[in-house]
Amino acid sequence: MNVQWWCSARGIPWRWHWQAYPGVWLAVIALAVAYVRWTRPIDPDVSAGSVSTARRIGGWVAVVLVWMTLDWPGGPLGTGYLASVHAAQFLVLAMLAPPLLLRGIDPGRARALLERNGVAAKIVRVATRPLLVMIIFTIVMLATHTPGVVDTLMRTQLGAFVLDSAWFLSGLAFWWPVVIDVPVREHFGPPMRMLYLFAGTQAHLYLAMWLLLADLPVYGIYELAPRVTGLSALEDQQVAGGLLLTIGGTYVLAVISVVFFRWFAEPQPER
Amino acid sequence: MLPHAIPRPNFTLTDTHGQPFDFRAKTDSTVTLLFFGYLNCPDVCPVHLTNIASVLHGMPYDVTRRVRVVFVTTDPERDTPEKLQKWLTDFDPTFIGLRGTPEQVKAIEQSVGVAPAVAGPRDSSGNYEVGHAAQVIAFTPDDSAHVVYPFGTRQADWVHDLPLLAQVK
Repeated sequence: MNVQWWCSARGIPWRWHWQAYPGVWLAVIALAVAYVRWTRPIDPDVSAGSVSTARRIGGWVAVVLVWMTLDWPGGPLGTGYLASVHAAQFLVLAMLAPPLLLRGIDPGRARALLERNGVAAKIVRVATRPLLVMIIFTIVMLATHTPGVVDTLMRTQLGAFVLDSAWFLSGLAFWWPVVIDVPVREHFGPPMRMLYLFAGTQAHLYLAMWLLLADLPVYGIYELAPRVTGLSALEDQQVAGGLLLTIGGTYVLAVISVVFFRWFAEPQPER
Repeated sequence: MLPHAIPRPNFTLTDTHGQPFDFRAKTDSTVTLLFFGYLNCPDVCPVHLTNIASVLHGMPYDVTRRVRVVFVTTDPERDTPEKLQKWLTDFDPTFIGLRGTPEQVKAIEQSVGVAPAVAGPRDSSGNYEVGHAAQVIAFTPDDSAHVVYPFGTRQADWVHDLPLLAQVK
């Protein structure tokens, strides 16, 4: 059996034969371990805090989603055959899994962990500055959808790993200030969060429209891949753009709405 | 680009309707994209033909009326006229499928400077792959090929080149 450690574009006809990707398993195990570490109580005798069971389960759903996204068959299909699956991978790794994971973390625990570890605290403080993260997230999103970058990175396992990691890590950083109020940023209230989410996902909408309206396939990887479905490369690309626009756009709008209505429902300070 | 132009070959094979097809006479003064392959090809043939068909479907009639796509099967044993016709029609009904004996096809391949196709070993089910040239040879209205398109040619390349090829005198 030909074992690859991470999915990459191979240019061979697609077959529904299971394939092992040990690197993906290791990455998912590492993610699960990190999630357990960040969600277990600091003091075993003390309650875990304010995180609900639903939020904890949401975090585990995110771990499973990441695994399904990266492992066979989704991983290799998205890496080397279908732009539409690649778009779904982006939605999971950058948009859906990060906030689900972060919601499973008790802010009090995050604060305590960061107080114990000065280096981690510094990294988190800098890496989650909203303006900086928004710019980085936008750059990562645009750069990792550039045809030259995609066609180059996806041909190697290391390149595909870098691309998947860039989506996930930039997604974690982007969603952190919205989901976890650590460190506390007084100026970053609900109105700023809504603006942040809107502005930070504009590139996403631009990419969606670009894929949807292009006259020709933009990625050589998918255009020259043996077809898996009855869709042409251009139709598959249009599905990818449609997914980003409809599911991605609706999702961001829903999150902004939640932030708004929670803010609206908050008791206003007395004058 | 080819260092030396290849003259449009003079051969006659059988089309999918069982009629003789005089390549030189029937494609004279057109842009003719000549390609050797087979129906069971898992990658190169369908990708090339899909890309060419997609581009032609979006081109003005003034260009497409001057373009012929001729597919010569390198696996006449399995590629019956009916199967070949149906397969090509799924890409584009105007694509022309030709069959000949292995010796005839080999002679044509050699005349246009591509490696002759070679059938691989049969598996337990009797299936086999055929190694064949992956490039599309583009003959222009001056009855010569000045350029070939290897596997990896993008639709954008065809969109750019086909109108130019049609203008060659």
